[in-house]
Amino acid sequence: MPVDTKRLRGPEESQSPWLFVEQEQQSPPDEREDGRRKGQVDVRPIFARCGLVSQAKGSAYIESGKTKVICSVYGPRETERKDETDMKFGRLVCTFRFAPFSCAKRCGWIQSTQEKDLSLALLGSLQPGLCLHRYPRSQIDVSVLVLENDGSALAHAVTCASLALADAGIEMYDLVLGCSLRQEGSDYLLDPTFAEETQEPATESTENRGGMMVALLPSLNQVSGLLCSGDLEQQPLVEAVAACIEGCQRIYSVAQRCLLTAVKKKNPPPDG
Amino acid sequence: YLHVALLFWQQVILCHCTLDDLRVDGRSCEDYRYVEVETDVVSNTSGSARVKLGHTDILVGIKAEIGRPKLDRPNKGCLEFFVDCSANATPEFEGRGGEELGTEIANALYRVYDNERSVDLKSLCITPMEHCWILYTDVLLLQCDGNLFDAISLAIKAALLTPSKIPKVQMMEDEEGTTEIELSDDPFDCVRLNTENVPCIVTLCKIGQRHVVDATLQEKACSVASLLVSVTSKGTITCVRKIGGGSLDPESIYEMIETGKRVGKALHAPLQDILNKEESLGKSREKVGFIG
Repeated sequence: MPVDTKRLRGPEESQSPWLFVEQEQQSPPDEREDGRRKGQVDVRPIFARCGLVSQAKGSAYIESGKTKVICSVYGPRETERKDETDMKFGRLVCTFRFAPFSCAKRCGWIQSTQEKDLSLALLGSLQPGLCLHRYPRSQIDVSVLVLENDGSALAHAVTCASLALADAGIEMYDLVLGCSLRQEGSDYLLDPTFAEETQEPATESTENRGGMMVALLPSLNQVSGLLCSGDLEQQPLVEAVAACIEGCQRIYSVAQRCLLTAVKKKNPPPDG
Repeated sequence: YLHVALLFWQQVILCHCTLDDLRVDGRSCEDYRYVEVETDVVSNTSGSARVKLGHTDILVGIKAEIGRPKLDRPNKGCLEFFVDCSANATPEFEGRGGEELGTEIANALYRVYDNERSVDLKSLCITPMEHCWILYTDVLLLQCDGNLFDAISLAIKAALLTPSKIPKVQMMEDEEGTTEIELSDDPFDCVRLNTENVPCIVTLCKIGQRHVVDATLQEKACSVASLLVSVTSKGTITCVRKIGGGSLDPESIYEMIETGKRVGKALHAPLQDILNKEESLGKSREKVGFIG
């Protein structure tokens, strides 16, 4: 059997030693760690920059708290598939990946089912924002890589991808912004960190626990992506969706400013 | 994936009729098609069910096997899903064509069912960190006529509700330290899963200004986006997902969630009644099988 001599493979099954450490059962803190408030629309400050990857048609990088996401867009390229829909509309292909060192538990290089699921959610969120009928017989590749996951990875991936698409010059109806939320009992935590997302409940029977991600087209006020799982009653669910929508509106000005800076850098105003 | 080509005027007429609460086959916007459910169709499984929803035909088989629990959930069992879109359903699924749809459905099922809230996973544990029951759930799509998620969720719920043949086991350690599985002698000594929180999925398709439940392929071709809502019998919503390439107004999302909750809550009681009736018939039940 040919042996791969160039790579040092670890044992087939390896586990992190942290799994064997006795975790104290900590009850969820009353205040959020970084000083934001529960039950209020408080998103983490965002740093966004476009045009980092020189080889890509368009790219963007977002940092929010400790979550770092980078996205590259390639295209529109000609595609070979000759479906009837392909003749009239372009095709958008999204790939969502976690870097192996991004989460507490090491992810492999092969795309796991969770990553495929999030790729589909990303595709569904971005598609309504793009004018795909302007790119018939073409394919646009969006590739998102999460460098460090400190919560709300998918939401920031959506924002990052739409900034990269705008940087690439793809025609869009509107930017697509993402915001996520964690519902614990009667309070919601907007833009949760990884610790808040995976927090164990205070008691076994805490009602209304769940996580949600909403992708919004802000100036059209249309929801293009909604992904929610948990155990929620109808009223808290509806309020959570409204809170996420408001969170997205808060990010809008930052995203617009980032794009303006990128455009000005690419085309500096003439002197004089 | 499954395309039904409708001419533009057909789409317009369908949208307008839906506004007046009138659909192609005479149903109202919140009515399901005729559903047939039969359990225990496959004898080699721990639980199986077949659901016919209109022309959509789904077969679910659940096999329980002993395996290692996942590292982050050492004292719970788990469910593993596999959805097979074979060329039986439509020739578009030949070869690897159906794989994309299959993974999409399987990922949604993991999100809906593989958690502590829906199925009592702690009861599936045998020895923490060593052994647990893994329920391998295999879904076969025999025929596709729209609304796959609803039919699959009904079939999974029916398969879990039947007296699943998961035997009671005990792990014995003998002197040398090897573990042995000890099975009780009584073949009917089984573990019955607590399934009161297993949710049902309702797919709502937005057509024009209104939304419909249980859309056929034609109605799906006219809709821009759908919302998938999974509801338990108590009315709690366990999963909401937007599918499709279009966008939705926040107001319509709120309306669709309300409809989904109402319709979903009403699905559980009739299903439970029918399955209780089927179980009470016992040996005298007429098996319809695949030919009837």
